[in-house]
Amino acid sequence: MSFRNFLLGIFASFSLAWGLVVVYPFFKMRAIKPIVLTEATDGKDGLYFPKRAGRVVNGAEVYAANGCYLCHTQVVRPTYAGNDLYRGDWGGLKDNGEGIDTRRETNAYDFQGEKFAQIGVSRLGPDLSNLGRRVEAVYAKGKSPEAWLYNHLYNPRGPVERRKSDCPAFRFLFEERDVKGNHSTDALPFSTAENKEIVPTSDAKALVSYLLSLKKDDAVPAALNFAPAKKKTDG
Amino acid sequence: MSDPIQKPDLDDSINVTETHGRISRQTAAAARENELGEDGTQPVSLWLFLVLAVVLIVAGGVLGSGGSLFAYGSSFREGYVRKPAPGAANSGPQPKAALAAYSAKGSKIYSAKCNGCHGSDARGDGANYPSLAGSEWAKGPTERFAMVVLNGLHGPTSTGKVFGAAGMPAQGGGMAPEELAGILTYVRNNFGNTVGDVVTVDMAKAAIETSGKRAKAGQQVDADELNAEHKKDLPGDKLDPNLLVDPVTLAPAAAK
Amino acid sequence: MSQDTSNTPDKDAIVRASIDRSLRHPVMFFFTSGAAWLAVSIVLGIISSAKNHSPDFLQNCAWMTYGRVFPAHINALIYGWGAQAAFGAIIWLMARLSRKECTAAGTILTAGHLWNLGVSLGILGILSGHGTGMPWMEFPSFAWPVLLLSYTLIVIWSLVQFRVRPAGHTYISQWFIVAAMIWFPWIYLTANVLLHCMSGHPVMAAGINAWFKSAILLLFFLPVGIGTAFYLVPKVTGKPIYSYTLAQIGFWSLAIIAPWAGMQKLAGAPIPYFLPYLGAAATVLIAIPALTVAANLLATAMSSGETVAHSPTLRFTLAGLVGLVLFGGAAVVLNLPETTLPLTQFSLSGYGFDILGLYGFFSFVMFGAIYFIVPRITRREWLSRRLIKMHFFLSAYGVVTVALVALFGGLQQGIGQEQFDQGWDNAAARATPYAIAITLAWCIILFSNVFFFMHLTLMWLRLGRRSSHPTLLVDPHHNSPHGPEGDIDNAGPGTPAAASAAAAGAH
Repeated sequence: MSFRNFLLGIFASFSLAWGLVVVYPFFKMRAIKPIVLTEATDGKDGLYFPKRAGRVVNGAEVYAANGCYLCHTQVVRPTYAGNDLYRGDWGGLKDNGEGIDTRRETNAYDFQGEKFAQIGVSRLGPDLSNLGRRVEAVYAKGKSPEAWLYNHLYNPRGPVERRKSDCPAFRFLFEERDVKGNHSTDALPFSTAENKEIVPTSDAKALVSYLLSLKKDDAVPAALNFAPAKKKTDG
Repeated sequence: MSDPIQKPDLDDSINVTETHGRISRQTAAAARENELGEDGTQPVSLWLFLVLAVVLIVAGGVLGSGGSLFAYGSSFREGYVRKPAPGAANSGPQPKAALAAYSAKGSKIYSAKCNGCHGSDARGDGANYPSLAGSEWAKGPTERFAMVVLNGLHGPTSTGKVFGAAGMPAQGGGMAPEELAGILTYVRNNFGNTVGDVVTVDMAKAAIETSGKRAKAGQQVDADELNAEHKKDLPGDKLDPNLLVDPVTLAPAAAK
Repeated sequence: MSQDTSNTPDKDAIVRASIDRSLRHPVMFFFTSGAAWLAVSIVLGIISSAKNHSPDFLQNCAWMTYGRVFPAHINALIYGWGAQAAFGAIIWLMARLSRKECTAAGTILTAGHLWNLGVSLGILGILSGHGTGMPWMEFPSFAWPVLLLSYTLIVIWSLVQFRVRPAGHTYISQWFIVAAMIWFPWIYLTANVLLHCMSGHPVMAAGINAWFKSAILLLFFLPVGIGTAFYLVPKVTGKPIYSYTLAQIGFWSLAIIAPWAGMQKLAGAPIPYFLPYLGAAATVLIAIPALTVAANLLATAMSSGETVAHSPTLRFTLAGLVGLVLFGGAAVVLNLPETTLPLTQFSLSGYGFDILGLYGFFSFVMFGAIYFIVPRITRREWLSRRLIKMHFFLSAYGVVTVALVALFGGLQQGIGQEQFDQGWDNAAARATPYAIAITLAWCIILFSNVFFFMHLTLMWLRLGRRSSHPTLLVDPHHNSPHGPEGDIDNAGPGTPAAASAAAAGAH
């Protein structure tokens, strides 16, 4: 084989895959368009293009820099790819308080505002796609969701049911400072000295804001709704 | 001292043997190297090709899961519909025998509405609240019992004794037929009562209807009215107490 | 002058030796600094693995939080050790195979220092909390242009040497290494430009990152390792490559299959449906080049049993090829979409697979290359066969443990993850025993590499044995009057000891 043929072979084999698997899908998915809703199929008119509340960009940076993606994923796989959807609180809530099951798969519109979807490397901890929903509806029901998350980040093994958790304690996202007048509303219930309180830094606040924005169980248009058709109940 | 020009590269002071020795030692590692050869023309073992063929077949199967290749438009499998969880047909409560299911429902209502007065053992307190255990009206025809529960009672009970001037308050307000059926079945089959039948949802519906059509609708019943007009069973098909039903809806359910 | 004509150095030997002299500085630098980064990476690996089962370990240090220490470990392994070992091997092999001395040793050395600077700043960036959050690309965004520039300055000379090589046949190793030299910048540039400089869909960005991970492993580390193995095995055994056809099949199957792999990490995520399954199929097919190459080289060496037992180079290289077989097998077993892929996708298995490729295959072949090349460029022989043996056995035990535990443990973990009716602690608890085993295994590997690093540093300091006889794993001179360490013949040939040594055969 001559050098020319060798080079040709290398270029051809690599560029074919590179083009079809990397470059073309990248440019095609760049300009993803919102789904147009129609009254007939989706129940209302308009566009499906969910927005997220919260400090998504800053929080995502803190999430990435501290390696949360190494232990937590953010993808609820369809049933042909895994059993994620069967868990009661990963894809949404099995019962959102009104008897409605809001669980759904992750779709392409779920990562608005982020440059890099933190799909995740492994699941040493649970999936976080709907962490915001879970914290508000289950863990911190009736209480402050931010406070619950601050407590979790500061001391993950605090609650009895989480004694065996392997989540690192992110103490460095908090700072201890003197109490000025009254305790800050964000102060954590752990303190060392009488006149000191532990408060989250701006990184912690951004992160918690990002985590609470993780609610990916909104109603989807018919094109993305894969629930089996309701059977007529007899009797 | 020799003229360097005369002997440019060989000096008396250089020991040729030693120099050669040094060079050969320094190149010893290189010197002992073998030549590369790639011309082994051994035939390739058939086993290797078999293994590679197996790998190819496995990979083909994997690729098959990919559906139609290069369909960039869709992020989900074509025709994907969520598969129910394995054993999902059993998610939610398992079907129970009708008697047990109705009684379970009734026991919840009993705890909520009845045991405050009649006691958790349904024996009452002898003075203000009558006993339901062994009560003739509880064990007798179902319509009579239903009327007491729905409308309350004024005056003497089945034993003839009066328990308190105000009597029993009505419990039928806002009560669904499933709940009435449950409480009736529960009392008739617990606390020592062993009637053994099920008051069905249809029967309970009929009871509510009858109760609404009473001449004195809205007022408590009394022993005379009960014995005159309601000493009968509620209309409706009997239900086999062992039939499997869904404990939540009380509808008949197939065994899973 | 008396000349012992049987000891006249071959013309070839002089050419080889002069090539070795010309690039002794850059190659030795890459090997030594690479080994140092390997030690750093393993220490970081032990810390991060310990945090998997004992999360309170070092918990007060922000720089040591798991989310920073693990990326630092992996990036140090890849860019600090892996890339530099590869550079050393590439430069030396290309020079030898092109029969050209290296004329740009100074530039290469400077570029090597630049590479080290980039990696150091990158690792510090990750540990200080500025990582990018993209697996295997966690260096802050300033690092990649620096690394790409120094890469270019390092390998361009080898490409030039290749172009001006003496006319004639191109050897198998050269295909793999030239291809790797072209693939790496293509892959690196693509991923970094698309992810750092352009804005795209976030999930597709994650997909391209997954493709990058796989491509770096399969299209840079694998070919460099394979090319090196194709050089070392026939060189040391003296036997020709078993089958030239099989070598061609191995090369072209790798070139055609590997660029498609990688996206299987995103199965179930919202990217075009077929992409992950295409990636899974391509990863399964990697078993073809892996098994082909390994079978070819193992068959080549099979008839030289004694040489294999004696030579440290061969022992490491062949162990690496066994690792390649395991890698190919794991590639098949871990990526079956209906059965194992949902289990392994988010478990320890991915880490085990990567380590099997990076350490179990690539690093072992690089160790073999280092044990071969360093004596030639320093003109000293290794000091102690015991150190070599310790390095070999401890590394082998360690990496087999890491790979098998992570692969098997990952499957167990995956089974737990799929048990949706149990609470999450059930799945999380399954990983703990395997995490403990991995920590212990990395400790064993660290221990082995401490020996290696010590040994290599002594060679770097020119403190090796002056001898014309290599350090072999088995002592060939049982009856030597100079004792079991073999002959030391500073006096050179023409002495009785040298004559008897020459008679003992060339190794």
